[in-house]
Amino acid sequence: MLSVENLTKQYGDLAAVDDIGFAAGQGKIFGLLGPNGAGKSTTINCISGLLPPTSGTISIAGFDIVRNGRKAKASLGVVPQELALYEDLPALENLYYWGKAYGLRGADLESRVRDVLGYIGLADRARDLPKTFSGGMKRRLNFGCGIVHKPKVLLLDEPTVGVDPQSRQRLFEMVEAERDAGACVLYTTHYMEEAERLCDSLAIIDHGKLIAEGTVAELKAQLGARDVLQLNGEFSSGLGAAVVARGIGDLEVLSENDNSLTLTMTAASQYLPAIFESISGAGGVVRETNLRSPNLETLFLLLTGKELRE
Amino acid sequence: MTFLFATFRKDIARWRQDVVAILIWIGIPFMIGGLITLMMDRDGDDGPMGVLLIADLDDTLLSGAVTAAFGREEMAELIGVQPVSAEKGGELIEAGEASGFLTIPAGFQDAFLNNTAATLTLKTNPSQTILPGIIEDIAEVLLDAGFYLQVTFGPEIAKIRDGGPLDRPSDLFVSDLAVQINDKMQKLGPQLTQPLLGVEIVAPPPAEPRPDIALLFLPGIVLMALMFAAQGLSADYWKERESGTLRRLVSTPGLPGLFVFGKALAAALLMAIIGGATLFVGFLYHDIVWSKFLPSMVWIVVSGVGLFGWFAALQMLLPNMRAADLFTTILVFPLLMMGGSFFPLEVLPDWLSAIGRWSPNGYVVSQLTDELTSVSPWTFDLRNWCTVAAMAVSGLAVCSWRLQTGFASK
Ligand SMILES: Nc1ncnc2c1ncn2[C@@H]1O[C@H](COP(=O)(O)OP(=O)(O)O)[C@@H](O)[C@H]1O
Ligand SMILES: [Mg+2]
Repeated sequence: MLSVENLTKQYGDLAAVDDIGFAAGQGKIFGLLGPNGAGKSTTINCISGLLPPTSGTISIAGFDIVRNGRKAKASLGVVPQELALYEDLPALENLYYWGKAYGLRGADLESRVRDVLGYIGLADRARDLPKTFSGGMKRRLNFGCGIVHKPKVLLLDEPTVGVDPQSRQRLFEMVEAERDAGACVLYTTHYMEEAERLCDSLAIIDHGKLIAEGTVAELKAQLGARDVLQLNGEFSSGLGAAVVARGIGDLEVLSENDNSLTLTMTAASQYLPAIFESISGAGGVVRETNLRSPNLETLFLLLTGKELRE
Repeated sequence: MTFLFATFRKDIARWRQDVVAILIWIGIPFMIGGLITLMMDRDGDDGPMGVLLIADLDDTLLSGAVTAAFGREEMAELIGVQPVSAEKGGELIEAGEASGFLTIPAGFQDAFLNNTAATLTLKTNPSQTILPGIIEDIAEVLLDAGFYLQVTFGPEIAKIRDGGPLDRPSDLFVSDLAVQINDKMQKLGPQLTQPLLGVEIVAPPPAEPRPDIALLFLPGIVLMALMFAAQGLSADYWKERESGTLRRLVSTPGLPGLFVFGKALAAALLMAIIGGATLFVGFLYHDIVWSKFLPSMVWIVVSGVGLFGWFAALQMLLPNMRAADLFTTILVFPLLMMGGSFFPLEVLPDWLSAIGRWSPNGYVVSQLTDELTSVSPWTFDLRNWCTVAAMAVSGLAVCSWRLQTGFASK
């Protein structure tokens, strides 16, 4: 339904998106997980025809976005990261307008707009101007404008940023409903929990590069059952190697510097006393300990040596 | 097509939220037009604008009163009266050195008192437009007044004729009489038959009637409204860009060309309202033939869309919203100045009006002025219409091109 091959987008010397490729199928939610500046929006903008790719091909419902733009766009719905609404046009008129932009008309349009209004919970505010809405209501309308024409491929760019918990919950349900109705959803986020909850499969990107891809289960399997242990304090160089040399379980060092040491191992909690002992034996001082069980965030840490959220 | 009209309706609905801006665009021309009219009605401070030569061959009380009437205070600012001999006056007017030359024939007073026919001769300067008209009007008013006075106060006049010391009246007496003539004239209103006294105008009648000077301001004022509206409306592309709707547009199959066209249609409707209101009042005030109203409307609407297109194209070529707004706002003023909106092109220095006529708004002003001041019906000059249509099309084409080459994305 949506396929991206060897996509590169260059801004001068910076490759905002660097040779990434993935495919997403009908009735599935595909996640694009990565920290701020990873290249998620750039990818979405290339897919939606807003930015010309430097190289690579993108096809939507079988149509190439560059060579066959109008046909490709007809199957596309976009919910951009930043609001894209006419704040001085009633909510209802916003929906009508974008419906018409997708070629809907007459009774089709009428019934679709009515459905969407109820669906995004704005039926009683239909004639009000969005500039009088709360942030969450605007987000929901922004979402509504992207789905009014029942797109086959739906692009969602960090739709929950700045959204209150209730609206967020409602948004998740709406995304799932689109998926259940057969849409192919591309969902970008930098929240691991969102990706874990919503996505059937996902790709992790960082610095424009795709660094891991698979279902949530597959990606977790990459981690094994290994926990991540983060220690802050004062550590001399070579301390990590000294600790590993003590042969505690399957311990490995992910990253280390003078103030922090990140370790990974199976069932880390059982070995904590031994680890602390070996650190103080090597002259290190631990001030703060953070033990995390395996999840996508620790996978990201494992792959890049840094946090998903800075 | 659906998308075109949807875009049109969407923008109209949005502009309805911003009635204040529209009222300001309508208000500006009315305010400035009103000020100009006031200024035209007030006395100027700097001496008479023209010279009226009077050869008084009669040299009586009545002929003196006629001369004095022209020299009255209100008139003195406009017209300086200069007594001349018949020959000298003839020479001066031929040389174009005066606005008019009035000859009062010998026996004028007698004819008046005896109720027989007499004719004043007024030669006007065909190369001037405004002042000769004023002189003519005054002469006619005076003579009408004289006639009605004679009809109404025949017995009194006879008394004066028989007994009065009429050869060398005092200045005070003369000017009093002149004032009374005018006052009576106003009180009496329309009367009876044709006056016996008449003015014969010997100047070759100019081919065109003389437009009054306030009419020369009208096209410039209309265009001032359109320029402000065009500039204000053109900022909407940046507003839409900031609100993200252009990005959304580009991701839909809706054609950018139709979007630009729909926006232009909305602009056209606003131009029609704003320009139409101004024109309508202008037509009423200046009593212009209504058959010219519709072509004038079409002319300013097409031109208005052209101006909108060019302002919008310029905005979309500039690197950010602030620069776009600042530059186009500043640009409006020299264009208005050159294009005849502050002073009619006719009174600008030649070099400036030559440039001004080829500024986009000045071009529109000068064609509209020609049409509105001419006696002939509207001349459908294909070249003019093609020029403004090309202006509109080229501006909108640039907008559409910019939409597709990155303007939409931040
Ligand atoms: N118009 C642009 N010009 C130059 N660099 C850009 C532009 N847009 C984005 N970038 C850079 O591209 C990278 C990816 O940005 P983006 O796709 O917005 O990341 P994300 O959406 O994942 O947070 C960032 O380093 C960003 O600074
Ligand atoms: Mg982003």
